[in-house]
Amino acid sequence: MQVFSKKRLIGVVLTTAMALAVGCTKKKSNDNAGYDPKETLRLNLTTEPPSLDWSKSTDTTSAFIQYNFMEGLTEYNLDDPELSLRSALAMEWTANKDASEWTFKLREGVKWTDGKPFTAQHVVDGWKRLLEPATASEYAYFLYSVDNAKAFNEGKIKDFSQVGVKAIDDQTLKVTLNQPKSYFPYLLTHHSTYPIRLDVVATHGDTWTEPGKIVTLGAYKLKEWEHDNHIVLERNDDYYGEKAKTKYVYGYMIIENSTALNLYEKGKIDVLYTLPSREIGRLKAREDYSTMPSLGIYYYGFNTEKPPFNDPMVRKAVSMAIDRDQITTLLNGGEVPLTSWVPKGMFGYEQARGTGFDPSKAQKLLDEAGFKDRKKFPKITIGFNTNEDHQRIAENVQAQLKKTLGIQVELANEEWKTYLKSVQTNPANIFRLGWMADFPDPDNFMNLMMTESENNHTRWGNKEYDRLILEATKTTDKKKRAEMYSQAQSILVEKDVPVAPIYSMVSHYLINDRVKQFPLNSMGKKLLKDVVVE
Amino acid sequence: MKEKLSYLLGPALLICLLFTVGLSFFNYVIPTALWFADLFLAGAVFVYYTVSQNNVVYVAKRLAEAAVVIFVIASATFLLLRVLPGGPFDQEKALPAEVKANIDKKYHLDKPLAYQYYRYISGVAVGDLGESYKYIGRNISDIVSETLPTSIQLGVFSLILAFLIGIPAGVISASKHNTLFDSVTMAFAISGVALPSFLVAPVLILIFAFWLGWLEPALWEGPTYYILPVVVLGTRPAAVIARLTRASVLEVIRSDYIRTARAKGLSERVILFKHVLKNSLIPVLTYSGPLAAGVITGTFIIEQIFAVPGMGKHLVNSVTNRDYPLILGTTLVFSMALVLANLVVDLLYSYFDPRIKLS
Repeated sequence: MQVFSKKRLIGVVLTTAMALAVGCTKKKSNDNAGYDPKETLRLNLTTEPPSLDWSKSTDTTSAFIQYNFMEGLTEYNLDDPELSLRSALAMEWTANKDASEWTFKLREGVKWTDGKPFTAQHVVDGWKRLLEPATASEYAYFLYSVDNAKAFNEGKIKDFSQVGVKAIDDQTLKVTLNQPKSYFPYLLTHHSTYPIRLDVVATHGDTWTEPGKIVTLGAYKLKEWEHDNHIVLERNDDYYGEKAKTKYVYGYMIIENSTALNLYEKGKIDVLYTLPSREIGRLKAREDYSTMPSLGIYYYGFNTEKPPFNDPMVRKAVSMAIDRDQITTLLNGGEVPLTSWVPKGMFGYEQARGTGFDPSKAQKLLDEAGFKDRKKFPKITIGFNTNEDHQRIAENVQAQLKKTLGIQVELANEEWKTYLKSVQTNPANIFRLGWMADFPDPDNFMNLMMTESENNHTRWGNKEYDRLILEATKTTDKKKRAEMYSQAQSILVEKDVPVAPIYSMVSHYLINDRVKQFPLNSMGKKLLKDVVVE
Repeated sequence: MKEKLSYLLGPALLICLLFTVGLSFFNYVIPTALWFADLFLAGAVFVYYTVSQNNVVYVAKRLAEAAVVIFVIASATFLLLRVLPGGPFDQEKALPAEVKANIDKKYHLDKPLAYQYYRYISGVAVGDLGESYKYIGRNISDIVSETLPTSIQLGVFSLILAFLIGIPAGVISASKHNTLFDSVTMAFAISGVALPSFLVAPVLILIFAFWLGWLEPALWEGPTYYILPVVVLGTRPAAVIARLTRASVLEVIRSDYIRTARAKGLSERVILFKHVLKNSLIPVLTYSGPLAAGVITGTFIIEQIFAVPGMGKHLVNSVTNRDYPLILGTTLVFSMALVLANLVVDLLYSYFDPRIKLS
């Protein structure tokens, strides 16, 4: 028997369809969800921000949002290529003679987005939260130079009042360091050192960073955050300074660079700052393309414990045998060949530092090191993490070393985390790594190669080098500092050569011509307040 | 009465599901009543079918087995992850020991493995999958519930497309065995199986989004956005289904009872779609279980190329990040989908071929 005859079935379907069509609402068409493109800057954040909690996040996507809805005591002067500091939440700051005690005068009349006034106590609260062991912040070490901060972070001191930061009154902050640090104010541009509203965090717990709950004080505020989909910032009309010029910032979360490029070409995205590396050669010729040196280096490290690279002469020979120009030509993305340790665009950069490319001298050095008969030279390995560009570079170096020095090189790639483990425990003879600056000061790079540094995987150490670096951090006289770094670099990349810098990084942008004043700078700090869209 | 019920439930469920999918495709908000109707009818069909076929014991047994399987998968994944070199907080900028100690303490990574395992399993037992290491402060269940629906949507559209194309193509090819139609269809099917989606996708994007401008190159915001990823994801299953159907139809079409049907004077159409098809679908059904589980839990490459905000990227990237809780969470979701899909397939076997007895 048949309950639904054909006619009845069609009848039922049609009636239901009509009822549904009348009764159902269409989802808002999500093309920038009703944000007028004339008032909206649309860009690709590249991923979901792992956390908007500025005491906890460690990645650049989260930082990008945080830098636009929050502010620190100091900020880079983006108009200055060397990125000097300008006032932000702090109006001015002074240090005692040896740069170990700092006093910050804070701005008056700054309001959080819930209307409460900003005070020095909020800065103390932010630092306390950053350093509390229970917060488990990865960036806690950023403030280790503050007196007792490390002990507090380790749980050895329970009383935060013993830590060297005090709110003298609502507008004055006093910081005592455990050692002189001439660049200390630079650390305060970093999101981990931002003030925070502990009352807001306490009310909402882990979800305090969701729209409607979060309280900030920057030029923008968080309007929408649809996880794994998009984020929207809206102009903060209560911002203390000049208001943001564009009302909304719409951030997509598109991981695949070529997909984002397609959407850019379709006019759905206004600005791209991650481009598919294979396409850069083609895009370079376009008018909407811009490039900017960034404070990052790509380098090869030597495992100085394993022969043959326990001999500085061999290391020097290899570094000298690598023609960096060939590599940057191969990459074709505007990277700058680098033989010094401090990258281009940073104070302390010296183009001529380092071994340079000198094939005949390299051969001679290798002969002198006891490898006149190249057959005696052991087979060496270059290690890198699996990635197309790293592969191309390693293959190029392999060919160069074979041609120039007549030595055999094997390549070994590993998945990223596995590779990191190898680098920490048993690095290959030559291993690839990179380094990006957290703040525009050479200490960022120089500190990395100190004997005790967790990030020095070469197993090399030099007392004189360590002394120079420590001395330089205490020195406020810029000229004297430059001299010390110059000496230290000479030890690092000319005498002992535990590392061979390859190139200094650049960043690439595609900017639609309706967007004006998009900030390009060597730290890649994208403060969007002054961006205009037409 | 019992007969009447069986004739009512099936079509009603189909109609409801059809509407749900249709509304979802055209970007309408699906009324809660419809969701309830879907759930209720699916439950009713399942229970009715289980009871009327005397399969209650079988289903109960299978569900108990499923629980064991899930437990074993959860345990094995947990242990295998700890063997993988590299930890969740290893990064280019190594962390100072003090900072690392605080993090380990927060996530109980400083405790013995047995304790961590106990904590994890007892969490899973009550549905608490823990907190992501990478997406600080976000619960795994939140991440799954925010991304899985999109993956299901994409997966279901693609499955429907695959069946709608694959089955008729297979049946017609078989009935027109060794004709031009047959050769052309099978040539398409073979290329559909052979061509990788990361090649097909950019070509289709170029043609339909850039040259013709009919569709959108990426994102997941409405019908014009859905078509390309659905087609790319559906192509391979459609091709496989077409080939399976064709082979199986060719076998059935030569059997005695079909000859009898022909002798009775039934029209070729009735023979094909009523007698042949139903009996030919067993291999397709077998393939559909793992297929369904695979596509509805998210496919990394398609989601990546078309920027679809689904769960596929978490399935893969969580491993790269060594985000243990997220890896375990997504693996569990996938295994549950797989186990469930296979159970449904097994139940459907005896519907399509009553000779198959479940025990």
